Parts: sequence; C-alpha cells; structure tokens
Amino acid sequence: MTDVLMPALMPTENIFPLFVEAMFTKNFLLIMFLGLCSYIGLTTNSDTSKGMSMAVTFVMTMSAILTWPIYYYLLSEASFLGKDLTFLKTICFILVIAAFVQLVEFVIRKFSPPLYRSLGIYLPLISTNCAVLGVVLLNIQEGYTYGASILYAFGAGLGYSWVMLATAAVRERLIMRGVNLFNGFIGAFFAATMVALIVVSYFSVVKL
Amino acid sequence: MANKSFVGEIIRGIIKDNPVFVLVLGLCPTLAVSTSFANALGMAMAFTFVMLGSNIFVSLLRKQIPADVRIPIFILIICTFVTMVDMLLEAFLPPMYEALGIFVPLIVVNCIVIGRAEAYANRNPVLPSIADGIGISIGFAAALMLIGSIREILGTGGLKLVMLNVVDSVPGFYPLSAISWFSFVPEVIEFPIEPAVVMITPPGAFLTIATLMLLFKIMGDRKRVKQLRKEGYEL
Amino acid sequence: MSLDMALMLPAVGVLGALGLAMAGMLVWASKAFYVPTDPLVDALIELMPGANCGACGYPGCADAAEHIVAGDVTPDVCTSCDAETFELIGELLGIEISAAEPMYPITLCQGGTNCKDRYDYIGADTCRAAILLAGTKKACSYGCIGLGDCVRACIFDAIEIADNGLPRIKKYNCKSCGSCVTACPQDVLLIPKERGTVYVVCSSHDKGKYVKEVCEFGCIGCGICKKNCPEGAIKLVKALAVIDQEKCTQCGTCIDVCPRNAIVKL
Repeated sequence: MTDVLMPALMPTENIFPLFVEAMFTKNFLLIMFLGLCSYIGLTTNSDTSKGMSMAVTFVMTMSAILTWPIYYYLLSEASFLGKDLTFLKTICFILVIAAFVQLVEFVIRKFSPPLYRSLGIYLPLISTNCAVLGVVLLNIQEGYTYGASILYAFGAGLGYSWVMLATAAVRERLIMRGVNLFNGFIGAFFAATMVALIVVSYFSVVKL
Repeated sequence: MANKSFVGEIIRGIIKDNPVFVLVLGLCPTLAVSTSFANALGMAMAFTFVMLGSNIFVSLLRKQIPADVRIPIFILIICTFVTMVDMLLEAFLPPMYEALGIFVPLIVVNCIVIGRAEAYANRNPVLPSIADGIGISIGFAAALMLIGSIREILGTGGLKLVMLNVVDSVPGFYPLSAISWFSFVPEVIEFPIEPAVVMITPPGAFLTIATLMLLFKIMGDRKRVKQLRKEGYEL
Repeated sequence: MSLDMALMLPAVGVLGALGLAMAGMLVWASKAFYVPTDPLVDALIELMPGANCGACGYPGCADAAEHIVAGDVTPDVCTSCDAETFELIGELLGIEISAAEPMYPITLCQGGTNCKDRYDYIGADTCRAAILLAGTKKACSYGCIGLGDCVRACIFDAIEIADNGLPRIKKYNCKSCGSCVTACPQDVLLIPKERGTVYVVCSSHDKGKYVKEVCEFGCIGCGICKKNCPEGAIKLVKALAVIDQEKCTQCGTCIDVCPRNAIVKL
C-alpha cells in the first residue's frame, strides 16, 4: 500500500508555483469566479470576512484530503471494482463534503462553544459553496497528486482569504463615506472590480 | 384562469424575481461564462435543463421528502440532472463543454436551483413549479445574454449571434445566418469601436454587472419615486 | 439504447455504500457529540431580545441566558428588555423582576457648533479619522467631533447627531447597551449611574483663556464652583472641574454659580 501511497503523496509540480497559482494568477474568487455569493454577502464587515475565510480554508483543505482517495481508489478504473465510475464524482464529492461539514459542526459545538458561535454559523453556508466543490473538481481535472491537491486546496483557501479581507477593507471605507449609490451589491461589485484589476494587471494574467 | 397565472409566473421569474439582478444569486456562472454571447447561450440551456428537471421532480416528491433532510435530497435530485447534462454536453457539444469547463458540474451548487427548489417547488404543485422554472430560466438566460453581449461587443468589437442546432448531422452552435430567414445577419456583427480587452477579463465582468445593477437601480428608484409622488407622498 | 448492467450495479452499489457510510457516521456523531441543552435556557433565549448588544457584560444573549438560568445574575442585567419582556421572563423563571430604571447616555461636551473648527476637514467621515490629523478637527481637542461614530455603532438606531453638532439620544429606542460609549474615540459619552447626579459637561483640559476663545460653553477652570461647594466635592484637574460623586450631595450650588453654564444635573 505504501509504495502506491507515497508517490501519490509527493507533488510532482514545484510547490511555490502551485501556491502562487492558487493564490494569485488563478485566484478562486477573482479569476475563476468561484464562491462569489458568500464573497458579496460577507465582505461588508471585516470580522465576518475573517471568520468565513478561516472556515473556508479549513473546509477546502479537508475536502481535498477526503475526496482525492475516493476518486482514485473508488471511482476510477484503478479501483478494486475495476469499473469506470467517474461520472459519479460530482454526487460523491458533494456527499462527502456535506457530511464532513456537518461532522465538523457537531465537533466544534461540543468542544468549543465560543468558536461555534463565531465560526459555526458559516459552516452550513460553505457546504454548498461553489468554491469548495470547484477546488476538488479542479484537483481532479488538473490531475494533481495527493500532496499537490492538498497544497493547492490550502493555497486556494489562502487566496480566498486575502481577497475577502482586501475587499472588506475597501467596502468598509466605501460605507463610511456614506455615499448611498454605492451601498450594497453595487458597491461590492465596484470594490471587486478594483481588487480584480490589481490582480489581473500586476500578475499579468491577461495582457491589458 | 390556470393559463393566465401560468404566464404570470413566467413573467414574474423574468422581471420581478430576476435571479441575477434582483435576487443576486448564481453569480459565479453569470460572471464566469458571460465572456461571449455563445457561451452565455450554452450555459443558459444547460441551466434550463437542470432547473426544469429539478423543479418537476422536487414538486412531484414534495409530500414524501422529510423536512429534516430535504436539502441533501434536493442536492441529490439536482445532481442527477447535472450529471446528465454534463454527459450530454460532453458527447454532443464538445466545444461548448470545453468553453463552460467546470461550471456545468457546478450548477449543482448554484444557489438559484437549490433556492427555488426550497422556496417554491417544495410547496407548490407541478404546473406552477414548471412555470416558475421556465420563468427563472428565461430570466437567468436574459441576464446572462445581456452581460455576455455587452462584454463581447466592448471587448472584441464584434457580436457573434448563435443558435443551437441539434437536428443536423453535426449538432452545435451555428451562427444565426445559417438559418435561411436570418441569412442577412452577418456572422460577426462589427461595431465601430476600439475593443477594450479588459472587458473580457474578470474586472470587466464585475464592472459590467456593477454598472448594469446601478442602471437598474436608478431606473427602479425613479419609477418608485414617481409612483409615490402620484400617491401623494412628499419627497 | 441499452442499459449497461455491468456499470449500473457498481454505480448503485458505490453510491449506496457511500451514502450509508456517511449517514451512519453522522448518526454516530450526533450521538457521540451530543450537547445537552437545557430547555429552560432555550425558552429564555427565545424570549430575550436577541440583539447581542453586550450591555449585560456577556458576549451574547445565549451566554447571558445560560448565566441567568444558572443563577449567576438576575435578568435585569439585560437593559434591552422592556417591561413586557421582563414579565414574561419572570413567569418563565418563576421570579419577580422589575426593570432597572433606564439611564440614557449623556455627552460630556457642549461644543458641537458652539466650538470653532481648527481647519476645513476633508477626509473619511468618521470621528476616529478626524482626530488623527494635526490635533483634531475641532479647535478643542477633547470635545465631540460630531461626525457620527456613535451613530454608526448604535444597533438600535437610538442616537443621531443633532443640529447643534452633538449627539442626541432617541430615548424611545435606546437600550443603554453602551455601544456608543465604547465607540466614541474622544470618550465624551457616558452612561450615568443614577438619576440626579451632577456632571460637568465639558471634557476640555485646555487653559481657560483658550477655551473662552474657541467654545461658548466650555469649562475655563475658574474654580468658582470649587470655592462654593459646601462639601468640597469639586477639584480642578488641569483646568477642568471634576466632581467627586461620592462626596456630592447634589445640592446644585455649583450649577448656579458657574459663569459658563457648564454644570448640569440630570
């Protein structure tokens, strides 16, 4: 088992470019457009952004850890069943992610009520977050090894976090100015334009 | 009577409850896929298939689904249709499948589909649920195609109007001029403007939807102010 | 179109097995990590306003409910409850409660539009930003700035900046939670302890000559109140009169003698 597991664990790509890709050039919120509903809804306040970012990073990493073995050892042709069941990947991943998030909610509620009160309310929001499912599907699509998947998911979480915090900073100041036209969703999208312009032009994602 | 409210539900889904501009749900595919009119149309069709399928089945089973576990069951039903449309697209329309990428499987966690299943199909019989599904899908499609057209026109200087052709031997998205009635429409409608590549990129997406929402808000506010003034309020 | 039975069975089997495994795991988890909740606490949380304002000193209504049922505090620690809610809570817990008298915040400043501006301020519309620049926007660096940090902090919409540039409490909404007091970067808001206390409504430690120049009502530190106080309860701290509430008998002599009308009795 270990001679199969160990090479699967080692990332074949370099780690640093993987992180840079996950955090910046293929940023999940701004470039890949995943997880936008929670982004627009929660960036009015930097405290909720902090809580959501931590929860999302945690769930993304753990989902990558759980779903990669299921795909390669259960659904693909290399599994003990010998049949190509990869068309079941969407439903299986969602099942596992939702069950895992529910489990985490139980555990946090039992062992840390303050953490539950600050973080626990975001967990049900994350189980249907496109960012989490997007990460695990991309891991499969890009054909990453186990180790690379976990690192990529962690990097994606960090990328989500920094964009959330940056946008929360911009939006809080927009709200402070009290300009009514830019409250709510419109202000959120203009703030997102600004942060997206930074990423796209600084990291030369597209030649503008 | 039944027909009247059927059409009424459809119109409600397009204007009053427009999923993108009013409910502000399902933003991920809206912004990611609307880089061109063709992509927008493809996504709209995949979405319609899933929306209708999910609404019909959830409505049919609404009395049997226990309340505690309804969300996982909705996701299960929706996922069936999503997997179906995923496989259909991969088989019959490979270029569209390539263009849409992971956003087809991501329809399963699209807030609109789960939201309407929970808020409408779970409580209403089949026919109104079908009407709601059609309305929301048309609203979503309209929003997607609006944003897609604007981005394509401003970003590349040309608009490529396409339509889906499944009856020919090679199904796919053909330019509108392929239909004999519309042969006067050029394949790519050129606009006399300098293209701004930024509109195709992510900031362009956010900018487009922000400006559109701003426009709709100003129009809506003006209408509401006019109505309140008519009712006699001092503003 | 034929059904591929060779694929159907493993597909159904894998999905069924995964589903059963997850369901079983969740059933076990819901028992293993069961958190027993006291139904009394749940009922109390339902009755409480749910504003999570923090006035009671606990981080949220849920926490306060737990402590109330545990007997650590009495329910009147919640300043957001009105008399009707207290009756219901009293019925639930089987005790007599009466609401504590509401004490609304006061502003220890009479400047606002009465106080000159040091400069024309263009910047973020918050008091916290306006005090960072060259010794605060107002000529008196201790007083109320009037840009509304307190208004933004209030979750009950109970405070507004009035025409005179000072905060005004909308008493019908105020629950005395103290968010505005914490939010004020100049610390000029205060919730008094009881009715009838006498306060010097000025926070300025500037010299009297300067205060006369910039503000119509500020305390100039003349000391007349100190001389006339029968209890000796007033002392001057850096050109500002401070009343020692322990010694004060609320006789009101200082209010009459103050040449600047800077002392007020609630």
